[in-house]
Amino acid sequence: MAVLRRVVTRLLIGVGVLWGAASLTFLAIHLVPGDTALLILGGPDARPTDEAIAQVRADYLLDQPFVVQYGSYLGNLLQGDLGQSYRLRIPVSEAIGQQIGATAALSAAAVALALPLTFAVAILSAQRAPWIREIVSGIEVVLAATPTFIIGFALLILFSFTLHWFPIGGNQGPAALVLPALTLALAVFGTLSQVLRNELEDVLEQPFILTARSRGLRDLAVRVRHALRHAVIPVLTMSGFVVAALLGGSVVVETLFSRQGIGSLTLASVYNKDLPVIIGIVLLAAAVYVVVNLVIDLLYTLIDPKVVTA
Amino acid sequence: MPELSIHPARNSSGAFTSARPFRTPLSRTALGAVALIAVLAGCAGPTGSTAPAGTEPVSGGILDVSISAEPGCLDGHGISATQQQFLGRLIYDNVVTLDKDGEIAPYLAESWEISEDGKTYTFRLREGVTFSDGSPWNAEVFGQNLEHMRDPATKSPLAAAYIAPYVDGTIVDEYTFEAHLAYPYTPFLYALAQSWLGMNSGKAISESPETLCQNPIGTGPFTVEDYRPGQSISYAKREDYDWAPAWLDGEGAAHLDGVEVTLVAEPVIRHQSLVSGQYDLTENLAPQNAAAVQADPNFVYENLPRTGSPYVLGFNLARAPFDDLAVRQAFAAAVDTQAVTESLGFGTYTPIDGFLSKESKYYDPTVEGVLTYDPERADALLDEAGWTGRDADGFRTKDGARLTVEVPTVESSTPSPLLVQLQGEARKVGFDLRIIQVPQAQLTELRYAGDYDALAGVWHTNTTDVLFIRYHSSEITGERIGQNSSSVDDPALDALLATARESDDGPEAAEAYAKAQHRLLEIVPGVPLYENPSQFAYSRTVQGVAVDTSHPVPVLTYAWKAE
Repeated sequence: MAVLRRVVTRLLIGVGVLWGAASLTFLAIHLVPGDTALLILGGPDARPTDEAIAQVRADYLLDQPFVVQYGSYLGNLLQGDLGQSYRLRIPVSEAIGQQIGATAALSAAAVALALPLTFAVAILSAQRAPWIREIVSGIEVVLAATPTFIIGFALLILFSFTLHWFPIGGNQGPAALVLPALTLALAVFGTLSQVLRNELEDVLEQPFILTARSRGLRDLAVRVRHALRHAVIPVLTMSGFVVAALLGGSVVVETLFSRQGIGSLTLASVYNKDLPVIIGIVLLAAAVYVVVNLVIDLLYTLIDPKVVTA
Repeated sequence: MPELSIHPARNSSGAFTSARPFRTPLSRTALGAVALIAVLAGCAGPTGSTAPAGTEPVSGGILDVSISAEPGCLDGHGISATQQQFLGRLIYDNVVTLDKDGEIAPYLAESWEISEDGKTYTFRLREGVTFSDGSPWNAEVFGQNLEHMRDPATKSPLAAAYIAPYVDGTIVDEYTFEAHLAYPYTPFLYALAQSWLGMNSGKAISESPETLCQNPIGTGPFTVEDYRPGQSISYAKREDYDWAPAWLDGEGAAHLDGVEVTLVAEPVIRHQSLVSGQYDLTENLAPQNAAAVQADPNFVYENLPRTGSPYVLGFNLARAPFDDLAVRQAFAAAVDTQAVTESLGFGTYTPIDGFLSKESKYYDPTVEGVLTYDPERADALLDEAGWTGRDADGFRTKDGARLTVEVPTVESSTPSPLLVQLQGEARKVGFDLRIIQVPQAQLTELRYAGDYDALAGVWHTNTTDVLFIRYHSSEITGERIGQNSSSVDDPALDALLATARESDDGPEAAEAYAKAQHRLLEIVPGVPLYENPSQFAYSRTVQGVAVDTSHPVPVLTYAWKAE
C-alpha cells in the first residue's frame, strides 16, 4: 500500500514536471527572435505570397498574443493533442511515433553494451595494481571527456572507412546499429565505470569484506556477491545521467551516422523552430525521466530495504 | 536557395588547379582533421569493374542515393528546398520541359499557343496520361494544380509566386486548357518546367490535399513507396509509365526497379559512403572531396553551374555606407574574387564577375572584365568618397565614424568561410566587415526588415527573369515579401526588366536583358563571386544518368545499373 501511495504521489509530481517543461519550452521558443511564419514558409530565400503568410499566421495562431497561444496549446495538450508539425505538416504524435522506435533500439543497444562493459571493467580493476588502475582510469577519463562526435568519427574511420567491417551509416540492419550504439555506450561507460570502481574500492575496504575473505571466498566471488550490491546504488543514481547521455547523444550520433530517430528529429525541429515538435520531444524526455526516476526509487528499496524515499 | 556546394569545370577559367589544404578555423579544425584522415584512408576505394558505356540497358535493381538534406514535405508546391530539383523529377512530370538546348519543349502538354497580347496561353494536353492513383491527367487537373499552388492552405513558399500573374483558367475541352494572365509574362512556361511546379493528382488535390506532403501522387516514372521523414524515401518504378519528354531519348517505364534515397547530412560521410559502395550516387559531393573522386576511375564527377543568380554578396543600397555608389565600387574592386573562389571551392568553383550565371539564357559575355580586382582603385574611390581617416585598428573613418559593414548570416558551428575570406579582403582597403551570426528565424526577420548592410547568397531559377526577381523595385520587401534584398530602385533598370519579361523569347528580350546586365554593372548592387554549382558524383556502374537543363541535377528515368 505504501508503495502504491508512493507511486501515485510521484506520478502526480511527474504531471507537474511535464507541465513545467512544456511551459518553459513554450516560453523559451517564444522569446527566441524571428518570425515563425516566415520560417515556416521557407526562410530567407522563399517568395511566399501575402495570402500564404496570412494563412500560416491564422492556422498556427501566430498573430495572437502569447497568452492566447499558450492557453490554446495547453488546452489541446489536456485533450491529448500535441498539435501539428510546422515543417512536416503531420500530427506531432505521428512525427515522434515514426522516429521513436529507431532511437529506442539505439538506446537499448547502447545500454546493453555499456552496462556489462562497466561492470566487468570496474569489478576487475578495483583495488588492483596501481599501473592497471591508472591505465583503465585514463581510458575512462578520455572517453568521458571526449565529445561523442569525436568518438563516433574515430570508430567510423577505423571500422568503416579503413576496415570496411560496418556500414558507414543508415538504419538498415543490425550491422548499421553496431557503431552508433558503441559510440553512445563508450560515452556512458567512461563516467559510470569511474563511479562504480571508486565505490567498489571504498566497499572493499570495509570489515565485512575482510570477514568474507576470511571465510575462504574467492576474490571474484567477494567482489560480485558482497561488494557489488553495496556499490551499485550510486550507479543507479547515475541513471539520470545515462538517460540524458542517451537522449542528448542521439542528436549527435544520429546525425553523424545518418540514422533516423528522435535525435535527428530534434535537431531538424530546432533548426526550423518547429515549436509543436520541440515541445512534444521535451514532454517525451521529461516523461522518460519521471518514469526512470520512479523505477530507480523503487529499486533502491529492493536493493537495500533500509532505503525509503518519499 | 543557399547551399554550400560546388562548381563546374565547364567554363573557361574553372579548370581544377591545385586543391588547397584544409583551412579550418577553430571548431572546424577537429572535423577538418578527421575529414583529412578520412580522405587519406578512403583512397583505397573499391576496385569494381567499370561497365563499358553504350551497352544495352539492364533492367532491374535499386539505385542507392545519398542526399544532403531532406525537405520534410514532398509536395513540390509546398516547399522551396533545393533538393526538390532532384526529388521532384522522380515522381512528377511537368506541363512543359526544357530540352537539351534549354528551349521550351512538350511534356504533359503536346503544344501551346500564346495570344498576341501575351496574356492567354492555350495548352493542348497529352492524352492517355494517368497519375499513380489511377486518376487521369486532363485540363481540369491542370487548373486544379494551379489553384493548389496558390491556395494559401498549401503554404507555398515558391510555386505560388512563380504563377502570380495567373488569373484564372478555362477548360475548353477535356484536353485543352486556357490560362489567363493579368499581364504578359514570358517566364510562365519556364516556371511550369521547374520541379517545384510538377503536376499532382487532381483526385488527391480535391479529396485529401493534406496528405500530399507525405504521400505525393504524380504521373512520374517513380512513385513514393515509403517516406520516413528525416531518414529516407523509397521509390518504386511505375510499370505503365510511357510519357517521358523527348530529350530523355527513351520510352516506356524506368529501367531501375526503384530508387532508395537516404539523408546523409555529413559531407565526409557522403563521400566515404559513396567510395565504399554503400551508395551508387550522391546528390551533393562537397568540393573538398572533388579531387579524390575525380582521380578515381570508378566514379563520374559532375560540376555544373545552376542558372540564375550566381553567388553574390549583395549590398543594401537603402542605407549607409552602400547607398554611396563609390563605396560599392570600392568594395567590389577590393575583393580578389579569383583567390577567394579558388580557396573556398578547392578549385571547383568558377569565378564570375556579372550578376547572371553564364549558363542562363540571354547571358551577355560583354559584361566580363568590368568589375575587376583593383585594390588601388578601391583606395582611390574611398579617398574620394571622404573615407580618408584611419582609426587605431587601421579601418577607414569619416567624421569619426568607422567604415563598417554588417553582414548577418545563419548561425553555425563555423563562421561562413566565404564571409571570413571577404572580411580579410575588405580589411586591406579599410572596411570593417562584421559577420553577425543569428539563427535562421532571426535572419529571415532581419532580411525582411532591411536591417543589414550586405547579404550573401544565390538564387537559382531556370529563367532570366531572375534579374527581375532580384533587382526590380517591385520586388523590394515592403507590404509584400520580395527577393530584391539589395533594394535596387532604378527606373531605367525597372523598364528594361519589365520589357524583357513581357517580350516573347527572341531578339527583343535578348537586347533588354543585355542592357539590364550592363546597367547592373553601373549600379553595382553587390560583388559577384562564383557560379552556383550543382556537384554530384556516381559510380561508373550507373549508366544512363541524364542531366536536366532547368536544374542541373541527375535525372534517373532511364538510368540503369550495370551488373
